[in-house]
Amino acid sequence: MPNLIIDEQEIEVPEGTKVIEAAERLGIVIPRFCYHPALGSVGACRVCAVKFLQGPFKGVQMSCMIDAQDGMVVSTTDEQAVDFRRYVIEWLMLNHPHDCPVCDEGGHCLLQDLTVSGGHGIRRFQGEKRTYRDQYLGPLIQHEMNRCIQCYRCSRFYQEFAGYRDLGVMQIGSRVYFGRQKEGSLQSPFAGNLTDICPTGVYTDKPSRFSGRRWDYERSPSVCINCSLGCRTVVSARYRQIVRQEARLNEAVNGYFICDRGRYGFYYAGQDDRPRQPLIHGKEASWETSLKAVCDELARISDTFGPKAVACSVAARSSLETLTAVKRLCRTMRWQDPAYGMDANIHVKVKNAAAAIDSDLAVSLGELENADYILALGADPVNEAPMLAMAMRQARRKGAKVVLVDPRPVDLPFDFVHFPMAPGAMGHWLAYLLKTLSGPDTPDMPGAATPEHSKGAAPENLHDLWHTDQSAALTKDLFQSSRPIIVCGTDIVTNAVPSLASDLARRLRSMKKTAGLFYLFPGANTFGAAMLSDSDTVFEKILTQIETYEIRALVLVEFDPFFSFPDRIRLEAALQGLDMLVVLDYLDSRSAKTADVFLPTETLYEAGGFFINQEGRAQKVPVAFQGGRPIIQTGAGSHPPRTFSKDIPGHDAKPAWRVLTELERGASGSLDKEIRFELMQWLVDAHSMFSGLLSKGPFPDAGIRIDAGQGAGARVEQDQSDASHPGVESDDDLELITVDWTFGTEELSVRSPFLGQVEKAPCLFLSEKDAARLGFSHGDRVALRSDEGTIEVKLSPAGNMARGTLVLPRHHRLDWQHMKALKIELNKNQILKPHGNA
Amino acid sequence: MYPQVLFKNRKPDRIASMEEYRENGGYEAMANVLKNFSYKDVRKLMLDANLLGRGGAAFPAGRKVMTVADDAPFPRYLVCNADEMEPGTFKDRVLIHADPHMLIEGMIIEGYSARAEKGIIFIRPEYESAARILDREIEIAKAAGYLGKNILDSGYDFDIVVHRSGGRYICGEVTAQLKALEGKRPNPKQPPPYATEKGLWGQPTVIQNVETLVCIPHIIRNGAEWFRNLALTETGAGTKIFCVSGKVNRPGCYELPMGIRLSDIIETHAGGMREGAQFKACLPGGASTAFLTPEFYDIEMDFETLKKAGHRLGTGAIMVFDHKTCLVAATLNLTEFFARESCGWCTPCREGFPYLRDLLWRIESGQGQEEYVSTIKQMCHHLWNAYCAFAPGGIAPIESLLAYFKDEVEAHIREKRCPFK
Amino acid sequence: MLPEALNASLQEKISSAEHPRELVVDVMLDLQDHYGYLSDEALEAAASLLDLTPLEVEELATFYTFIYREPVGKYVIHVCDSVVCWMDGYESVQDHLCAKLGIKMGETTADGLFTLLPVCCIGYCDRSPAILINRNVYGPMTPEKLDDILEKLRTEAG
Ligand SMILES: Cc1cc2nc3c(=O)[nH]c(=O)nc-3n(C[C@H](O)[C@H](O)[C@H](O)COP(=O)(O)O)c2cc1C
Ligand code: SF4
Ligand code: FES
Repeated sequence: MPNLIIDEQEIEVPEGTKVIEAAERLGIVIPRFCYHPALGSVGACRVCAVKFLQGPFKGVQMSCMIDAQDGMVVSTTDEQAVDFRRYVIEWLMLNHPHDCPVCDEGGHCLLQDLTVSGGHGIRRFQGEKRTYRDQYLGPLIQHEMNRCIQCYRCSRFYQEFAGYRDLGVMQIGSRVYFGRQKEGSLQSPFAGNLTDICPTGVYTDKPSRFSGRRWDYERSPSVCINCSLGCRTVVSARYRQIVRQEARLNEAVNGYFICDRGRYGFYYAGQDDRPRQPLIHGKEASWETSLKAVCDELARISDTFGPKAVACSVAARSSLETLTAVKRLCRTMRWQDPAYGMDANIHVKVKNAAAAIDSDLAVSLGELENADYILALGADPVNEAPMLAMAMRQARRKGAKVVLVDPRPVDLPFDFVHFPMAPGAMGHWLAYLLKTLSGPDTPDMPGAATPEHSKGAAPENLHDLWHTDQSAALTKDLFQSSRPIIVCGTDIVTNAVPSLASDLARRLRSMKKTAGLFYLFPGANTFGAAMLSDSDTVFEKILTQIETYEIRALVLVEFDPFFSFPDRIRLEAALQGLDMLVVLDYLDSRSAKTADVFLPTETLYEAGGFFINQEGRAQKVPVAFQGGRPIIQTGAGSHPPRTFSKDIPGHDAKPAWRVLTELERGASGSLDKEIRFELMQWLVDAHSMFSGLLSKGPFPDAGIRIDAGQGAGARVEQDQSDASHPGVESDDDLELITVDWTFGTEELSVRSPFLGQVEKAPCLFLSEKDAARLGFSHGDRVALRSDEGTIEVKLSPAGNMARGTLVLPRHHRLDWQHMKALKIELNKNQILKPHGNA
Repeated sequence: MYPQVLFKNRKPDRIASMEEYRENGGYEAMANVLKNFSYKDVRKLMLDANLLGRGGAAFPAGRKVMTVADDAPFPRYLVCNADEMEPGTFKDRVLIHADPHMLIEGMIIEGYSARAEKGIIFIRPEYESAARILDREIEIAKAAGYLGKNILDSGYDFDIVVHRSGGRYICGEVTAQLKALEGKRPNPKQPPPYATEKGLWGQPTVIQNVETLVCIPHIIRNGAEWFRNLALTETGAGTKIFCVSGKVNRPGCYELPMGIRLSDIIETHAGGMREGAQFKACLPGGASTAFLTPEFYDIEMDFETLKKAGHRLGTGAIMVFDHKTCLVAATLNLTEFFARESCGWCTPCREGFPYLRDLLWRIESGQGQEEYVSTIKQMCHHLWNAYCAFAPGGIAPIESLLAYFKDEVEAHIREKRCPFK
Repeated sequence: MLPEALNASLQEKISSAEHPRELVVDVMLDLQDHYGYLSDEALEAAASLLDLTPLEVEELATFYTFIYREPVGKYVIHVCDSVVCWMDGYESVQDHLCAKLGIKMGETTADGLFTLLPVCCIGYCDRSPAILINRNVYGPMTPEKLDDILEKLRTEAG
């Protein structure tokens, strides 16, 4: 460990630490533009110059380019270094517009900070300023090249870090230009990070233009709930709405970056038509009346038909507090156990997965970057959890091999080996792999269930699949790896796969490898929901009970089955048979519109709360702002205020957990924080694994791991109905799977008007061979006919996907809910050319 | 007349054919090396001969190839730097046009000493005629069995290809050149790793200038001592191709012993100053060297002597200025070159040269202020902290203008005009 | 559209290269010879031949002096303006050319025959002031010689 002296202070740092980082540990922040911890050192801007007084280097040198070494004596304040840095600032300001007061970056601009702190005020250079033409880069990012100081951060992030190839640096010398070859939307779903890493105002956040300056905003740490990874963010609120979201460092999860789904996915919170008032049969009512109406009717139903005639269902976008409140409510009232809004099969997979990730095996997204081998099963990272793709890319850049087994036409911003395998084959394939890995000298794996798949004879085509050179290479590489990580999705895979994935990780562990396991879940708080659901109550079962009149009343808590339930016709019929439908939500959902009583709840920006990501990491989201209807809406184009009152206009929403508590006990004057504390106490009493959440003192910013451990219970038995088969047997049948897309399928982000402009049009993927066989070509429209109806969609044949599989994104512009299930089998006769499409 | 080693086969109007090259002993050195030398023998000979790189940096060629470790991975590459974009320099072009097989033989031997299997000649687009000559002569050498697999039954394989540049001065810099060869933007890349460890495509790579490479067959044939003795000075070794241009009667390339006096080059070989012109200054080794004043008129032109005098021999491209030429304007022109050719990677160079150009232009056009002089000086000083050697090269003429021709600069400012106009 | 023969020859070159990307300048120059300059179409052709994105080709195309991203005349005249040619009066060469062709530096004659561009030292300082026409060197230049050359090229172009 090198020991050095910087500005007369001694410090010891790990081998390989740059002097600029060593200084930062001492609290000395050496100026920098091109250096960025995630992008590394390149020595381009030269503003980090310091003077080396003693040791292996002498004189003025760049502190970002030199590793700290024993015996170094460094001065950051030496007159020569200071003078050089002053010149660097002057050079960078030669062509920079002197318009900080009107620049969108003003107030949080690194260049502004260094110019002011370096004392550069008067421009000596009398030459003309060079100017550029800006480009249209899409709806998310504003380009303003005149502000560029050529630190190369943008092209390095975009190409090297993120792996996309449509933004870079052109021209030479003092004319270098950063942008695209032609104007147009940036293709990377990580492009929004340009606004964070640009040290000046070349790339700024377009949707939030003219909303205010950094110092006008209420800024608050937050967590993204647009997928299960839980990336750390900062939200900015002004005039009663969130106007901007940026990445916030969490080394254990997202590092310095987030994806665009997350960054621009918050607009649901300030939507014009967000319902903000309790409604009884669509008419505005007071909280008092509405609560009373609900309590009275539920009591009546409970009295008449028994408490089990009332059911609740809640979705994974709710906070842990809300998930808990639902459960406590159901317990107290002796209603049905709550259903945690999932599909029955996903419920099984998630339960098994959550039970498998004890802290020994689970790796964080940050740790995934250190893998030397990644085997991803049934996961489409960019589409399901975009930042996972970033982490995998970083591992790949450090030399990891990446193998992906998935039927979809997966595209990743790096090279990887893809086995396009039908969902049904994956379990068999994994069982094979497990067998291969257990040589005679492999110790027996306690607890590793022998998958039922390996018993039966594997089907022919799987046999072929397994005995390829690629498979042989895969096992060899896996044997040779020392830090293999198994990534496993829980959406499209069969029920056995998540457990097999954990068996595999455990087996690799037993082979003395630092193996890790990383699951993906559907929904932000799915881990929390899985921990709380201790029965097999899933939403589908509730529907059945409604159909048989066992259930008479339903309370939907921040859950819209019209969005996610795959059988729309059945859903509609069932809900109509209810005596009462109560909906608590902050979205203008179809369920909300159908409700007998609607009760408005707060978003996480207004209510805060705990969210637990797929790794089991609980993070705390503080309240970002007080809520209420945005001034832009109440003002209606005129000057607010028009009404004079002490209340915040439009602030009738309450945290869902508060509403639930009031349903339980009636309205009370308790403070939110008292109710919250009481709920958490109840949670910890019921499930001790959450006790860490109650600990005193500030909650760690990086969150804490919840260890489900053995406590999570045994595996859920496989549901026979999903007993999988390796793909479709007959050539006439195809399996249709519905999938997630980066943009266009996730419930909250589809409400972003800006992402609406970048989302792709819905389409149906099938393999080129199948397309040829069925006589379709690219761009054809097809009609998919099921028992429940027909949906029309454009066809997109792909080379890199499994045969016999149809892949349909659950696009919000598509009535995919007429397919009846998340996965179905279709006969080729059900795939037609639509009428009028000769 | 001094011995003509590199120009022995030079014809006034055409290239020397392979036959002519062979008649004068060509390819003998290669045959001898492949038969009787280990790669280490070649390295040692080059080191003993004190062969210094002729591309401008004067790094010992033997030492460079020795940094290719014995156990370094294969394939290894040899790159011949024929970019020659240093203003005033045209020796590599003349060498290729005079005797292309000498370069081919030099590359084979150097390749052998590095145990490289592929040679690449990186050539600037302005030298398309030279590139065509090389393309053709490489095929001829191949047909003769001098290139390709198992050369002369020695078991050694070596091939040469010509890589045409799109044209930029920075491509002459080693690390930028490697990137250019890989089809990437040619911004320099600070070592480590060094090219001899991880160069082209991450493989060990040796880069040498054309003139350095053509010396090698002669060293093999005649020995290290012979080579050292070619020089007139103790510190020098070999001959040097001086390319003389500017206000002399016979601009051109002259092969002369290392250490020959500047005055001798100008007066005897380049035909003296033009009618009515008096020697005022010269740049001794391209645009990135400092002005030599009449005080140095008799200096012995070798790397070491010039270094001792605070100067650099650079590429040996001598550009002669006379008493009627305004050196402020000349420096402005040189600065324009560096401003235009800066690769744009680092701040000091990208922004500093345009700034310096502006200040020099103001002085030259009569708008100069006294404080410009100290600003220029200080800025030049700071340009030493640029990313690569481009910027320190570019300020050499400016710094020497202020050091030796301060009067001329001050006259511009005082008189608010250029005294030469 | 890229002519079949050119496409085939480029593809062959590329497929025999160990690292196709190293050929990017060659490919650009070849396409430029065909199109007269590296048009957008040529840029995209280069990208698809080399499995690069148009941006990645543009990053290189705009770096180099001898890749023209805008239309140029049949004859591109590069006038060397570096120090030796400056000393020997490149300015009068340039002035003469501009006057004779009726265009400014950086422009192309209306008949599409000539483009005038400045260039840094071309390595022919022994023949200063020197110019390049389609990468062939001429020098030392005098107004009379320039007139002859222009005349000859005009006739040659018909
Ligand atoms: C900006 C810059 C431009 C250079 N241009 C050339 C060049 O055109 N030709 C050349 O041989 N060396 C050039 N060099 C020197 C090379 O970096 C390198 O030192 C040389 O090619 C090594 O060969 P040598 O040791 O045989 O001279 C240049 C260096 C710099 C910093
Ligand atoms: S000194 Fe000039 S040429 Fe060298 S890296 Fe910096 S900008 Fe590029
Ligand atoms: S931060 Fe070190 S050179 Fe830019």
